Amino acid sequence: MGDDARAEGGDRDRRVDTDGGGAGVPADAPNPVPGTVAAGDRTGRDPRWTIAKRELASLRAEKTIVLALLIQLFVAAFSSFLVVGLVSLYDPGSAAGYSVETAVAGDDAGDLARAVDRTDGMDARLFGSRQAAADAFADGRVDAAMLATGTTQGRVEVRVLVPDSNVATTLVVVRAREALRAFERLERDQRSASLTAETLALPPSAGASPYFGFTYTVLVPLLLFLPVFIAGSVTVDSLTEELERGTLELLRVAPVTMTDIVEGKLLAAAGLAPVQAALWLGLLSVNGTAIAPGGGPLATAVGVLALLGLTAGLAALVTALGAALALTAPDRRAAQTVYSLGVLGLFGLAALSPVNPANVAARLAVGNPDATSFLAVGVVVVLGAVAVAAARVGVARYGPA
Amino acid sequence: MARWEVSRTTGTVDRRTAVLGAVALLLTLGVVAGGLLAGGVALDEDIYAVAVSPDSPYHEPVAQSTPLEPVPVGAPGADVYVDDRDPSDREASVSVADTPKGEAALAAFRSAVERHNGRLLAAEANQSAAFPVGVTLSYVERASERVGASDGAVGAGAAGDAGGGAGGSGDADTGAGGGDAAGGGGSGDGALGVPDFGGAAGPLFGGQPTGSPAEIAPPFPFSSLVLAFAFLVPMNFVIQAYGSTILNERINRRGELLLVAPLSKTDIVAGKTLPYAGVALAATAVIAAGVSVASGGGGGPLSVAAVFPIALVFLAATFVGAMFARSFKELTFVTVTVSVALTTYAFVPAIFATVTPVALISPLTLVVRDLQGEAVSIGEYLFSTGPFYLVAGTLFALGIGVYREEDMFTQRAVPLKFLDALAVRLHRPSDVALLAALSLPFVFVAELLALALLFALPQGAAIVGLLVVVAVVEEFAKGVAVFAGFHGSRFEADLPTALKLGALSGAGFFVAEKATGVVQIVGLGSLPLGEAAFATSGVGADIGVLGGLALLALPLVLHVVTAAVAAVGATRGIRSWLLTLAVAMAIHFAYDLTVVSALG
Repeated sequence: MGDDARAEGGDRDRRVDTDGGGAGVPADAPNPVPGTVAAGDRTGRDPRWTIAKRELASLRAEKTIVLALLIQLFVAAFSSFLVVGLVSLYDPGSAAGYSVETAVAGDDAGDLARAVDRTDGMDARLFGSRQAAADAFADGRVDAAMLATGTTQGRVEVRVLVPDSNVATTLVVVRAREALRAFERLERDQRSASLTAETLALPPSAGASPYFGFTYTVLVPLLLFLPVFIAGSVTVDSLTEELERGTLELLRVAPVTMTDIVEGKLLAAAGLAPVQAALWLGLLSVNGTAIAPGGGPLATAVGVLALLGLTAGLAALVTALGAALALTAPDRRAAQTVYSLGVLGLFGLAALSPVNPANVAARLAVGNPDATSFLAVGVVVVLGAVAVAAARVGVARYGPA
Repeated sequence: MARWEVSRTTGTVDRRTAVLGAVALLLTLGVVAGGLLAGGVALDEDIYAVAVSPDSPYHEPVAQSTPLEPVPVGAPGADVYVDDRDPSDREASVSVADTPKGEAALAAFRSAVERHNGRLLAAEANQSAAFPVGVTLSYVERASERVGASDGAVGAGAAGDAGGGAGGSGDADTGAGGGDAAGGGGSGDGALGVPDFGGAAGPLFGGQPTGSPAEIAPPFPFSSLVLAFAFLVPMNFVIQAYGSTILNERINRRGELLLVAPLSKTDIVAGKTLPYAGVALAATAVIAAGVSVASGGGGGPLSVAAVFPIALVFLAATFVGAMFARSFKELTFVTVTVSVALTTYAFVPAIFATVTPVALISPLTLVVRDLQGEAVSIGEYLFSTGPFYLVAGTLFALGIGVYREEDMFTQRAVPLKFLDALAVRLHRPSDVALLAALSLPFVFVAELLALALLFALPQGAAIVGLLVVVAVVEEFAKGVAVFAGFHGSRFEADLPTALKLGALSGAGFFVAEKATGVVQIVGLGSLPLGEAAFATSGVGADIGVLGGLALLALPLVLHVVTAAVAAVGATRGIRSWLLTLAVAMAIHFAYDLTVVSALG
């Protein structure tokens, strides 16, 4: 995972480099020329770092990185708002204290009323006739009405009247469904003699947080993969812009090779993705969403590392693809469109494959990975390294002269 | 101009790029089709481990459930342990890891067993014993109709073909007021009710009104939302290309030639925009046709008409972004911001399409209703799309203002360019009033978005939060034009000018604000929160002629005073402007709070 390990520890490596007085300089490093971009070489630094640093500086100068983080935060907040909001509508426990008064009338009303009373957040009121119940509903004395009618086949048809007004409708319907399901079980038990199928006893009901699954299966993959997508997009932009403005020519008269330039840009873009991913994972755990819980600190560390490795591998893969596209189709319009479509398509393809990256990320984050998950991470990391190497070879051989 | 843009676009795409693009497009389409065929992608596959012995009858539901993964009984770290001593009976004792994950796993396990039972019962010969309860949901507008239920109206029919019982939406509102609508299930779908799901479209749009208790669902138009979302997807690709072409002109002074051509700026921009608007329109029409085939009806011209203003705003915002951005990277982020923000604005309210009238602020709500075969009145259409048309027009006007040499080819920070764009429009003091008036759609959009987001909070907190948003947004809208005028040295920076400009800005804003009278068309004022937002502008208050006049004059005074306060600070640079702006916001908030509590 050579390139990715470097990309992942970008900042640390750079610091080590400066401190160590240029320990990692290749022997054939070009001679420094003062006043050029490669002037960073005077301190004995790899020209790729200089390019990468320049990239990061431009991201910082335009405050685009802040904007990128804000966008990610906004997307995450938006999807969470959506789910938390919807779930709180659907979760009867969340609107505690608000009880749905239900008028119950008709055949078998006693059983129905019992089932309604046993449901959380519902209160039954028995009425003598269906019309009385419907009137109580119409006058606003109750929030809902259930009018039961026995049929000749021995079934019970329940007509449920709910107010057609606002959000409360949803709440009433959800609770009424719970009550009716309990009523159905009751009625079914009374008819069990004529049933041949043997149903399983239900496990106890759980007071689970309804958006627990959402956090791990949607939010975590979203926060991990958005930086990856943006990294590739930045690479495409950065390269096509240099090509269109003609500044790539300027860079090329500096004593750096085309490979260095492209690698530097890849490094800056792909290195940012795991850093952002780490940031989000850190924020999530501070916020009470344990990443890769269970199985002790070692398992957690392995899980987090695997997640970051997955992000780094994907980022390398996607940025290499972006670089290849930018150099093949130097018009930004075409390159960006092909890039977005291509990455969406590839991601969709991966999602359809047996090892869906989003699912791998979810399993790692929730702490239930198996051997396939780690295998998938390994494959992605290797693919990323291969893609970067291929981009490198391709640039050296076919890049703009 | 438009023809030139098209020919140049096709000209720059060489064969290699075209092939790549085609491959990418085919890949994406193929994947989408594959995903649809495979019945969606499971994100939550095997995220919980359930320790269950393979002989236990509980093994089957676990193995069939997507989020659950069966593991051997002794395996460490499982979330749910099923201890089934006697595999022949239909019970087992279940224990759970004491973590949030364990609880979530148990809930998933319970619903897996419920579904398993449902499958067993569906194969049962005696269906009336297997599903002894049939349910018919009726949504009733209590204010206007009364349900007659004295006789056994539901009849002996099975729940499945409950044509008569399912709300009888045809003659639904005949029972208004009187109690004489007895018989024949005379309830029905009120103004905002859930439509009659019949035929092939039934399973596509959730919210089944009849069936066994497990089958009924609240009115949540999930599939319609997904389909409505499909309309937004192509916009993102269109604006990407559009932003590029605008920024292209600005790189290396390429647009110079166009600017000296015998064309007005408006011609140039209109010509450059036309092909992209056309593509967006065509894509929308294709999707509408596709949706209409897929859902068997719905998705007609109304959907296209509702989505088109969204496309225009996408384009207009991207145009302004491309005029302001300094590099492709910045443009990318501007584009992403535009699409994320607009998607949110269009999408969040549409979720509540069947629930509350607030949803109408998003044109996507119209699409959802169209897909569900509901009628949309012309007033509702105007209410939904009007702000969008206005916003698009204003943004284009702003962008065209800076479509000139000194702005196009310089590298200035985005806020400065924004101020420039405003200053360009300022020639006379009365232009300040015009700009303030034109800012109203943005204010409206921002406030409505806040309304939609704060809607979920408890009512008291929501109203206070909304008033804060209203004060901040309105004061900023009024003040920024004045500030731009002083910043661009368009006006003398002295006190009389400041007061005059402030008064003009406030008055212009006030006149435009009266346009919010349209909220009454859709009865938004009937919502408590809607009242808070709009009562302060004198709309929807029912307190007699004198009070009405007072309410009309007071906001005028308020707007003039606060705008003047902010304008005084604007003469002395950004810091003092922000300071006086904060003061103006505080005054505004205090006034609004007083009015709302006095009326409420």
